Amino acid sequence: MSYKKPLPRPNPDSRPFWDACRKHKFQFQKCAQCGSMRWPPAFICPHCHSGEYRWVEVSGRGKIYTYAVIHRAYRPEFADDLPYVTAIIELEEGVRMLSNIIECDPARLACDMDVELVWDDITGEFSLPKFKPLVGRR
Amino acid sequence: MDIKDRYAIAGIGYTAQGKVPERTAISFYLEAAAGAIADAGLSKKDIDGLICYRYFPPGYSEREITPYYVAQQLGISPVYLTQEANCSRMQLYHAIMALASGQCNHVLVVYADRSLSNPRDIDEINPDKAVYGQYGYAVEYAMAARRAMCDFGTGPETWKHIAVSQRRWAALNPLAALHDMPLTDEDYYMAEWVVEPFRRPDCCLVSDGGRAFVLTTTERARDLKQPPVAVMGIGLANPSSYSEQSFIMSGPTGAKSAGERAFRMAGITTEDVDACQIYDCFTYTVEITLQDYGFFRPGEGRDWFGGGRTAPGGSMPVNTSGGQLAEAHFMGLTPLTEAAMQLMGRCGERQLGPQTGTKRPEIIVCSDNGATLQSHCCSILRRL
Repeated sequence: MSYKKPLPRPNPDSRPFWDACRKHKFQFQKCAQCGSMRWPPAFICPHCHSGEYRWVEVSGRGKIYTYAVIHRAYRPEFADDLPYVTAIIELEEGVRMLSNIIECDPARLACDMDVELVWDDITGEFSLPKFKPLVGRR
Repeated sequence: MDIKDRYAIAGIGYTAQGKVPERTAISFYLEAAAGAIADAGLSKKDIDGLICYRYFPPGYSEREITPYYVAQQLGISPVYLTQEANCSRMQLYHAIMALASGQCNHVLVVYADRSLSNPRDIDEINPDKAVYGQYGYAVEYAMAARRAMCDFGTGPETWKHIAVSQRRWAALNPLAALHDMPLTDEDYYMAEWVVEPFRRPDCCLVSDGGRAFVLTTTERARDLKQPPVAVMGIGLANPSSYSEQSFIMSGPTGAKSAGERAFRMAGITTEDVDACQIYDCFTYTVEITLQDYGFFRPGEGRDWFGGGRTAPGGSMPVNTSGGQLAEAHFMGLTPLTEAAMQLMGRCGERQLGPQTGTKRPEIIVCSDNGATLQSHCCSILRRL
């Protein structure tokens, strides 16, 4: 079955991130000067403007900063998923990104809930980092 | 530069609004613009500044609406001309500066859209969000509101007061899209979810139509047709961070620093304010804006908005046209022009004063808010 939803569109800044995702490696840019991690991928550090960085693998554990439960489809490709959850995840390493919370009844979610990474292999070329509640820690 | 009270709104332009099929977007621009010029008692040759508000694509059958096209179709060649594309809300400030710098004498600010009759594709698709099925501003604001529920205990109990009170104002405004659609607390809770925690009545309308105003010096405005409405204070802030990197979703947002600047310039406190016209893309936006302006402390909104305080007859009327939730969605021009109309005393059945159980207003605070709490303008208008 072909995947109908939008695919990532890697660009010169984000290609290393998406390439790593395909290998189930979850990595972000870490500034070589001030040590802060950043998302989205960027040419310079928004904190100190250094252009030096390393790609650093992170644990995949974090907390839900906030979330929304989507009840109407903005695009038909997502209609079968309703209601679904998008959330801002604050990773242990301090970086934040948007993703989905899956494998959980939306009514059971809460801000600051512990979550962990789950890979969604959407095509042969792309894997999306998604999150589910971390069982046992809450 | 001292700009307090030096610049004034001199005319306002309305159009047919609500669902108005068989009209082009440019037609609403022209109707609103020509209306504002005539309302001020000016002629088109007087207009030497043109500011087109937030740009949206007009749809398949129409050419792009550039400020050049609007100027061409109005038959004017302005000295100053600009258009905004990404929801930063600096238009009133730009108009003041075009006057203050001596480049212009009469600046026209105009917004129009036809997206109710001609729905367009989603704006500003971010590929990093689209992969997760996140589109549009409702989801982003729902996330901000959710975080605020966690941080200071707001929620539907607060927002229903805002939705219900504004609907009561809409019932007094024949131009309001939801004029004949009263809303009770029960209706609010029964309404469908759009993006949880927002139900349908938490979300602004989509509208066909437009709105415009003319800004000039207070000195010139005194000789024009309408009673001048002066800009007593203005403050701006652009926190800029997109939602996934934002730490201000539950406040203090840009409203706090922008509000402080505006109140300082005006030399007043919230005690001196007679009414508020607050940018209401969502009910939560009204709450966080007034909270950040200092009308109540974090989490006290439930009590503050309760008891009809902001509804007709209440002690602090808010969004007296029905606002973008219940009148029409014309960006920051919905609140700003309503404030000016109230101060001019031209609001008919909804006019603040004895007939709505309040005093005739002298000072009204307005807000404009862009993107996801990323851009803010607080303006304080007064009757001279």
